[in-house]
Amino acid sequence: MALNGSASDIGLNAAKTLTLGLSTGLGAIGPGVGVGYIMGKTVEAVARQPELRGELLSLTFLGLALTEAITFYALLMGFVAFFIG
Amino acid sequence: MTRARFRAALAAASAGLLAIPAVASANAKFDPSTEFKTNAYIPIKIGPIDLSVNKAVIYLLITTFILCVIAPLIVRAGLRARPGRGQNVLELAYEFAETQIAKVSLPAKAMPTWFPYVTTLFLFIAINNLISFVPLPISGEHGGLPVSSLADFGLYAATANINVTLALTIMTFLITHIVGVRTHGSRGYIKTMEPEAPRALKPFIFAIEILSQILRLVSLSVRLFANMLAGHLLIIMAAGFAVLTGSFIGLVAIPFALFFYVLEWVLIAGLQGFIFALLSGIYIGYAIEAPH
Repeated sequence: MALNGSASDIGLNAAKTLTLGLSTGLGAIGPGVGVGYIMGKTVEAVARQPELRGELLSLTFLGLALTEAITFYALLMGFVAFFIG
Repeated sequence: MTRARFRAALAAASAGLLAIPAVASANAKFDPSTEFKTNAYIPIKIGPIDLSVNKAVIYLLITTFILCVIAPLIVRAGLRARPGRGQNVLELAYEFAETQIAKVSLPAKAMPTWFPYVTTLFLFIAINNLISFVPLPISGEHGGLPVSSLADFGLYAATANINVTLALTIMTFLITHIVGVRTHGSRGYIKTMEPEAPRALKPFIFAIEILSQILRLVSLSVRLFANMLAGHLLIIMAAGFAVLTGSFIGLVAIPFALFFYVLEWVLIAGLQGFIFALLSGIYIGYAIEAPH
């Protein structure tokens, strides 16, 4: 179970909740910057060479998925702390 | 009924089904993590090995059925120069797998052997992800529907189970090294991992290379697993937010759930299959022809 019911566990519950929130939030900073950077660069590249749009788009999505996955690693660790720890 | 109206009705029905988890738990305790419990429906145990049929196995069987029965039936029905709908989908999938995954990642001489493997991975994971967003009545919980003997509808993904993704990853891992040893010989394969570096540094860089090989297991499996798990949890939590918080204000999260539902279905589900297949292809390609 995620949180314990008894009043003596209030510190533990607070720590778990804080861990989930902080790990998700802090873990989203880096990938957020990265995803924005990837997208911005793609827009720049397509503006320069519109004929490469198709190739660039599939590369973009590859980079997007690889970057975005880092958020989920952080989220996962938060869930581990919240639900299992 | 016109097609547009049918689609609208379908969308409304799926939106309604999405709200069922919230209704189902109105009188019970709502814990989103129970959505990921796998109860054994048909217990099969051979010694210490647990082969029970549970939720994940059912989803895997549905995927296998789609790929091994429905797709061959479409092909058997006859391929035409002016393709029908089923043939169109198959051709699209084949062309995408060939041009976007296999040709990008595999060297030309490995294409005939490993193009089928990479395509199978892509289709298997993509279809697994896509059907995981269809609510199916195998959640294992009761009491949400008027007829209490029926099981509640629930969302679950076989790929949101670390065992499934790890099995797929181990397959790719083994194939990578077997192919590498086959093409270079066992001593030659180890030599391809040796970098060009000063002699004193070589052992350290070699150790890092071995470590990165092992970390591929983690990154490949956890990426798919965490993506699907987080997507499903977001949908379930947002849809049931009113129950979690215990007030009607929580209903504002339902559009959020719908947004994530559409995003996952349209983008993430296929993208994760694409990434997994592409990286598998790249690893196999590197084992055959080292890039440096």
